[in-house]
Amino acid sequence: MSVLAPIICDNGTGFSKVGFAGNSDPSFVFPTAIATRGSSTQSASAPAIPSKPGHLASKRGVEDLDFFIGDEALANAKTPGYGVHYPIRHGMIDNWDHMERYWEQTIFKYLRAEPEDHYFLLTEPPLNPPENREQTAEIFFESFNIKGLYIAVQAVLALAASWSSNRVTDRTLTGTVIDSGDGVTHVIPCAEGYVIGSAIKHIPIAGRDISQFVLNLMRERGEMATVPPEDQLRVASKVKENYSYVCQDIVKEFRKYDAEPYKYFERYEGEHSVTGRKYSVDVGYERFLAPEIFFNPEIYSSDFLTPLPEIVDDVIKQSPIDVRRGLYKNIVLSGGSTMFQHFGNRLKRDLKLLVDRRLDASVLASGGVQKSSGVEVDVISHKRQRYAVWFGGSLLASLPEFYTSCHTKAQYDEIGPSICRRYQIFGSAT
Amino acid sequence: MSNVLRPYLAAVRSTLTAALTLENFSSQVVERHNKPEVEVGKSKEVLLNPLTISRNENERVLIEPSVNSIRLSIKIKQADEIERILCHKFTRFMMQRAESFIVLRRKPVQGYDISFLITNTHSETMLKHKIVDFIIQFMEEVDREISEMKLSLNARARIVAESYLTAFNS
Amino acid sequence: MILLEPHNVIIQSTLADKIIKPSSVDVQFVDYDGVRFHLSTPERKTVLLLSMHIRCWDELVRYGAIDFLKREYGSLLQSQPEPEYDVSLIIDLEQLPGSNEERDSFIMSVALLKRNALAAPFERGFTSQKGLESAGTGTGDLMQIHYRDEEAIYIQASHDRVTVIFSTVFSDETDRIYGKVFLQEFVDARRQPSIQNAPQVLYSSRDPPLEIRHLPNLRNTDDTGYVTFVLFPRHFANPTNASSTISHIQLFRDYLHYHIKCSKAYMHSRMRHRAAEFQKVLNRAKTEVATTEKKTVSGRTMLSR
Repeated sequence: MSVLAPIICDNGTGFSKVGFAGNSDPSFVFPTAIATRGSSTQSASAPAIPSKPGHLASKRGVEDLDFFIGDEALANAKTPGYGVHYPIRHGMIDNWDHMERYWEQTIFKYLRAEPEDHYFLLTEPPLNPPENREQTAEIFFESFNIKGLYIAVQAVLALAASWSSNRVTDRTLTGTVIDSGDGVTHVIPCAEGYVIGSAIKHIPIAGRDISQFVLNLMRERGEMATVPPEDQLRVASKVKENYSYVCQDIVKEFRKYDAEPYKYFERYEGEHSVTGRKYSVDVGYERFLAPEIFFNPEIYSSDFLTPLPEIVDDVIKQSPIDVRRGLYKNIVLSGGSTMFQHFGNRLKRDLKLLVDRRLDASVLASGGVQKSSGVEVDVISHKRQRYAVWFGGSLLASLPEFYTSCHTKAQYDEIGPSICRRYQIFGSAT
Repeated sequence: MSNVLRPYLAAVRSTLTAALTLENFSSQVVERHNKPEVEVGKSKEVLLNPLTISRNENERVLIEPSVNSIRLSIKIKQADEIERILCHKFTRFMMQRAESFIVLRRKPVQGYDISFLITNTHSETMLKHKIVDFIIQFMEEVDREISEMKLSLNARARIVAESYLTAFNS
Repeated sequence: MILLEPHNVIIQSTLADKIIKPSSVDVQFVDYDGVRFHLSTPERKTVLLLSMHIRCWDELVRYGAIDFLKREYGSLLQSQPEPEYDVSLIIDLEQLPGSNEERDSFIMSVALLKRNALAAPFERGFTSQKGLESAGTGTGDLMQIHYRDEEAIYIQASHDRVTVIFSTVFSDETDRIYGKVFLQEFVDARRQPSIQNAPQVLYSSRDPPLEIRHLPNLRNTDDTGYVTFVLFPRHFANPTNASSTISHIQLFRDYLHYHIKCSKAYMHSRMRHRAAEFQKVLNRAKTEVATTEKKTVSGRTMLSR
């Protein structure tokens, strides 16, 4: 019998993406939330230690099976007796009890897979402590008896996902990943499949902030007056997802809009989630101003002022000198907040400008003697950007080398969880 | 605590307290090394007589003192297959986290389920009687935990079987 | 979640999505017991092709699976399945029932494809029991379904009952021991008055039950066990009863393994809790060391390891 497809499980802070290798999209995308019995306040520890010997025959003893995950968890948030928890914080697993049960239900209820028959590919954030990796291995091998496990760094998978773009010719694992999700944006340099930890930078601007910014703009213009308050943030994020794009020059864009407002203004039609009352709002300047906060953060925040291209430049300058060319040449976008139209082009243009200016300055400083051959800057956008990490995993796990790079159950039984400290790169052409 | 257990634990407690007289002691074999002598075992003259305290044939404690370290190994009661596997799981889970349990050894001594290694550094930086308390409390609770785990496993199995079979009625 | 559901969630949710918004799709996914699915739109966006590969298809065909599926899906069933797969259904999104309820029940019936394919031998067992009942004696054919590499279901009808035997193999030592506890409870649970009506359950490790003892190539190792369910006519008296019994008994193995895994997860959380408690006790032994932060001239903190 042929081997069943490996399962790819990308658990992020906000959403989990799970599915089978070989597919182009995850089978399930749902919030990384778990609703359990008991109030959400006493979350810290204290797993119910039930089953007083006297109550053997009653239903006590399986309270730990009474929980919901994903969308069902959020739907049950209001049910009395349930509290919603988010087991992952800042990309790292915070509550192992909840996470173990979350995986349990993902596998058995949603994927309907017998874990004993499958290989698993999990993801981890950069700079994840090896202890976390060991605990993950412990859960997957001991509780679920899985066949084999591979834990990959998210940024490396995002690089692998870019191989699907037709502009990529060689399958390299060197490059800079800009990963922007809901909560935070990271800029992560990778050299031959290994993350350069010391050079990683975080930007406190991501999807949630953009939605908030759109909301602020629309409130200021008075558009939101007709929208019920509880729907406003949702409308703002819809506007962001459906109408926004990155412009090349703000001033020109403003002029364009003012000259022909009817051509550029869009209308968004909505419906009240409870009463069903219809409403509509005009969508204007926020179309190009929303993603602009990456390039001119001062329009949104007062304490974070460095534009994204400068951050990327800084990150690469902090990386070892021999990989810098590779890092400039292969800048890969990943995550939902990089999906804006022309985002890649703008980033490329601004970054190129920075690099060229520096090169020119050094030519000048050497008195015109030393000439640089120029640095190639390229930003790769591709179709799979939204779930790039998951897609990269799907791509790698369908390679035949995947099975040999996995840690198998037999190896785990022989050596123990510490096998997961070793991390093998595969799949790249170089 | 049952009356049978009390003298056993009392014996372990006093033996351990007596044995915990450790001092800094440099290796006599290798220059500039300072190792737990009980683990190295190269200089016989600094090793003291090991001592076994048995409650019955299945439960015993081995204390191996030396000049700068003592090793304490516990054999935990395992009445049947289930207790054996639960005990194995539990001790392994603890030993996996030995880093944070400073005095815990990563591997048990042959013939025992779990071992502790207390060196003179430990007895200097930590309160000696509290270390003893920890070990006694561990011994006290590990039995209880394993039997509770066994009970809850049985209870779960019962509920699971009942729910499955009840569904046939509908 | 205590009981497992018989339908496949991916088929259900994908179909529901595609009915609202047809788009091209090409996904592969699985179900319990090594069943593989492939859902694609080979020609048009509105025509979905759902194919299934199931390990014991040849055996199922012998026991009337094709007729069963024809009855269930009618013209949807393709005579020529997609290569590498055993069954294919064509779902034309433009020819679906209009009302929402009918639509939901249609989606559900497609999502039950695996259940329906496996249901045929059970149904055959039930009908042959009805036949034998009038004769008053005798036993029907022994049907074997090798639904996993090392495990099989055996079904045999006799004049007053239908016997379903699962052979079980546990790959892991811990699973084997946990499994034994669970199976023992399955046998004992019937003593409860509330579930007197449930099928009788027997469990034997190593020794195969009488009904299948004559079969060649049975595994006879320590980790093998046999679980026998004795279904009485009341469990399949009417069609609703029979179909729920079939859905339920098919999932026995998965149910058992699911709960073994849940128990292990529960033990893990207990152990985590206990280890944290021990940690607290040990921390009491640590003496308070007054830590003074050392700073360098430039104001950076010095760290010693």
